[in-house]
Amino acid sequence: MSRIGVFICHCGENIGRTVDCAQVAQAMGELPGVVHSVDYKYMCSDPGQALIKQAIKEHNLDGVVVGACSPHMHEKTFRKAAAAAGLNPYLCEMANIREHCSWIHEDRAEATEKAKGLVRFIVEKIKYNRPLSNIFIPVNRRALVIGGGIAGIQAALDIADGGREVILVEKESSIGGHMSQLSETFPTLDCSQCILTPRMVEVAQHPRIKLLAYSEVESVDGYIGNFEVKIRQKARSIDVSKCNGCGECTKNCPNKKIPSEFEQGLGFRTAIYVPFPQAVPNIPVLDRDNCALFKGRAKGVKKQVCGKCATVCGRRAIDFDQQDSFITEKVGAIIVATGYQLYWIGKEQESEILHGYGEYGYGTIPDVIDGLQFERLASASGPTGGKILRPSDGKEPKKIVFLQCIGSRDRAKGMEYCSKICCMYVAKHTMLYHHKVHDGKAIVFYMDIRAGGKGYDEFVRRAIEESHALYLRGRVSSLTRNGDTIRVQGVDTLSGEPVSIDADMVVLATAMRPQPGITSLAQKLSVSYDLHGFLNEAHPKLRPVETNTAGIFVAGACQAPRDIPDSVAMASATASKVLGLFSNEQLEREPLIARVDRQTCTGCFHCERVCPYGAVERFEVKDRKGNLIKVIAEVNQGVCQGCGTCQATCPSKSIELDGFTDEQIFAAVNAL
Amino acid sequence: MSVPAKEKASSFEPNIVAFVCNWCTYTGADLAGTSRLNMAPNVRIIRLPCTGRIDTLFILKAFERGADGVIVSGCHPADCHYTAGNYHARRRFAVFRELMEFMGVDPQRITFSWVSASEGGKWAEVVNSTTEKVRELGPFVSYPRVAHAQVK
Amino acid sequence: MEELRELAKKLLQEKQVNAVVGYECDRRGVRPAFVDDPAGCDRLVFDHRCVQNLPAYLSPRRTNVAGLGRLAVVVKQCDARAVAGLIRESQLKRENLVLIGVRCGGVAANPNESRELGAETLALRCYGCSGTETAMADYVVGEPKTVPAAGGDRDARLAEIEKMSPEERLALWKEWLSRCTRCHACRQVCPMCFCERCVAEKTQPNWIESSPHIQGNFSWNVTRALHLAGRCVDCGECERACPAQIPLGLLNRKLAKIMSARYGFAVTDDPSTPAPIGSYRLDDGQEFIL
Repeated sequence: MSRIGVFICHCGENIGRTVDCAQVAQAMGELPGVVHSVDYKYMCSDPGQALIKQAIKEHNLDGVVVGACSPHMHEKTFRKAAAAAGLNPYLCEMANIREHCSWIHEDRAEATEKAKGLVRFIVEKIKYNRPLSNIFIPVNRRALVIGGGIAGIQAALDIADGGREVILVEKESSIGGHMSQLSETFPTLDCSQCILTPRMVEVAQHPRIKLLAYSEVESVDGYIGNFEVKIRQKARSIDVSKCNGCGECTKNCPNKKIPSEFEQGLGFRTAIYVPFPQAVPNIPVLDRDNCALFKGRAKGVKKQVCGKCATVCGRRAIDFDQQDSFITEKVGAIIVATGYQLYWIGKEQESEILHGYGEYGYGTIPDVIDGLQFERLASASGPTGGKILRPSDGKEPKKIVFLQCIGSRDRAKGMEYCSKICCMYVAKHTMLYHHKVHDGKAIVFYMDIRAGGKGYDEFVRRAIEESHALYLRGRVSSLTRNGDTIRVQGVDTLSGEPVSIDADMVVLATAMRPQPGITSLAQKLSVSYDLHGFLNEAHPKLRPVETNTAGIFVAGACQAPRDIPDSVAMASATASKVLGLFSNEQLEREPLIARVDRQTCTGCFHCERVCPYGAVERFEVKDRKGNLIKVIAEVNQGVCQGCGTCQATCPSKSIELDGFTDEQIFAAVNAL
Repeated sequence: MSVPAKEKASSFEPNIVAFVCNWCTYTGADLAGTSRLNMAPNVRIIRLPCTGRIDTLFILKAFERGADGVIVSGCHPADCHYTAGNYHARRRFAVFRELMEFMGVDPQRITFSWVSASEGGKWAEVVNSTTEKVRELGPFVSYPRVAHAQVK
Repeated sequence: MEELRELAKKLLQEKQVNAVVGYECDRRGVRPAFVDDPAGCDRLVFDHRCVQNLPAYLSPRRTNVAGLGRLAVVVKQCDARAVAGLIRESQLKRENLVLIGVRCGGVAANPNESRELGAETLALRCYGCSGTETAMADYVVGEPKTVPAAGGDRDARLAEIEKMSPEERLALWKEWLSRCTRCHACRQVCPMCFCERCVAEKTQPNWIESSPHIQGNFSWNVTRALHLAGRCVDCGECERACPAQIPLGLLNRKLAKIMSARYGFAVTDDPSTPAPIGSYRLDDGQEFIL
């Protein structure tokens, strides 16, 4: 027999005005199993709580029902009070007779009757509550950061500086990401390399950072605190332990005409190469698709075709037979910072929802370039040594037209979002152009100028006022070749006039998109993503760097278009979340999660299908001799979030959600 | 509405139970309270973590125990606290509702709604309209009820 | 017929399987047969009276059958849907099974049918079926046959009920379901009802009143039908097994129609397509939600 105590709160006049609290308390006192039932002015006050604590001891209560406000308001308060009196906190429940009763009804008799019903639900329910204790999950206090751009670098450094080990995985042969390609950065125009490379070096030298460049995440298992990550280290064809980065191999590679990815195709590299001089780690990688030796092998030529790099390598570090290798790392948290790619305006698109720009020649006009290509032209370390020159003929362009919102904010092209950074970098480009080509004319077509940020609007004003960029509000309808120039036809919507400009060069501020392969990575991590592949945060305002999978965080442009300050801020935020998680050896969780009845589970795994978190695992029931009896469902306590969808789905009701078990709900419905 | 119908309506007070999710509708109902939105006192809420947890057995049992109407309410699509519980519930109840209709349970006795934490007003509307509808339908005595006296 | 017997014999002789599950004649018609001796293979028959859904024996809950080890089973196209369902729901491993697909050409409603197969005797579930073998089959036996033309609209009764008022429908179902004695034959015969402990027998809490009283009968039959939504293989065995002659097929058929209309789904013999309940699409219909 239960020994339940019922405590009805007047909440001053808030409940007492419309609900006859004394009558409710009296009626509840008559229910079977209720041994103590009182009303009081303010249950949440210190004397109110003392009343509950005293009653628990005096009447040896095994259940406490507080009829008061919403459990969202005071459930924690009363559970704490119950715990202080030695009662398991999960044996204390609230009935909401304020928000759901006294505040929404006027008739005192009706409200009193309803309050009785609401409290009775909980009294019946609590008879089936059972003591629960919090769950502790061990935490492996190492972090994995995926992506070595500025966000990943910042997150890795913050965590490592905070005293925890970090594994940084970068798919390219060097960390640095897109920021390493930029010439100068807005709104201060400081040189990108100058602020980035020291941080890259710091990563390489940090005793607590394990850098795995030219590697990719192959699979992820486990859950918060206990992830097991398999990482593929792609074959560089270089023995990393032997290479000293002298550069002899790259110097002697005969194939020197491969378009460089780092230079956005505006410069060339060799088949064995370091993407850029400041690369970290400063170890070359052999591009097997373009290497004469491997091409020869693919054709089945018996004789070794080239191999010059190996001949000149004093340390015999070149290994043509190297294979991809795999390592497994155990970590407690994962930060995803895979960054972005620029939208390509060409005809062929990787997704059905994206469309290219036929009106701009689908990117076939050589002097129509994108923002990152312009960065390389403007960069002192770029293919032109920092001179703005046309890719087609190497002449200095005297008139450049910049087009904003290429793809972005355009539903017809498949990207209705704003890419956020373009307004700012176009302003920067006009300034860099003005600084380098004094008699050059920069013309910008824009839809709106979105310069929200510290010093941002001032920066755009400077571009217009000091660098004399001409800003035209309007869209460009076509780009066509016109002899040596590009005919830009558009409209200035402020004057209402059609505009036709013969430009020497056109720079497109194309949309920011998540990295290719983001969806497959997201699936490995069980992180959700939006239509465009940007990863979803757990809450857009209150949990912006967490994902719905506990222990996995997002930083930078993989979540939405971000500029450098935003990415760095997010990265530091994830680092602080991770360090918070790592502050204890164990993670404490509320025990309101699902558990399986092993006896009756049939192993149909409907629960596995509906679980939003992948918390259902397969468990083999064996007899004493080790013979398999059956395979059934098992809930991973670290992953389950307690939604209970599994329980409603289970045909034999062999899975129970603690706190909301079938018996509890059944009892409440029976009290109807 | 004719006068006799009104009289009939006022003589019967329906008993309605609402199964709602903790994060959206329960909080929305809290907001209705804090906003002091007056509504019919016929609806009593049972709180569940998620619409995904709401079993069709709850509704069958509620009718057996004498409920004249049932409300099931949770987070709007894309707002589920648990990302997908409401989507599973949506399919479950779409099918359940049609089957019940086929077996003669007037679908007007079961209201499904999405009420977010900010939609206190919508919650009041759902409560009032369901109460009104069920009041017009009258007591659901034709449903196979539990015969023995209610245990209280 | 000879082809089937020879194949069964070969499988047993070569010890590929421990037993063959098929059909044999009894005094009135045909019944399921378990043959574990090559000599017994001559008992096996297949004709239009072979209505039983043999994969119902394959659920691991039937421990006496599971104990037989590797089995060969004679399956019609419709029976194969049950095999696919059991594999899909982790109850069965395909590699432990040899499937003998039969070209059936339709079956009668009743295994004791003495008349020829025709529009009058054809089982409802054969209406519109191609009668060809299942793609899952390891072996196929029999000559291609054509299914006789249907004897009318399969869903005439369903449509009739749909036209009734809610009160009339409830009265109808109450009358039908009040006949239910809760013998659970519908469950026992169903290949997809394989739970170790059925929810109807769960006592803590006792969601479904277990006595044969209309209140529990209603919950039981609603719940049984819902559990089979998108899973029912449409073998019609529940209705055939029901001693109270409750038209359970109507509930299953109604759900199949809902599944098809709402989610474009039909149960097939492909084990890789899961039921719509338990998955979702972001744009699922929600016209009934306020």
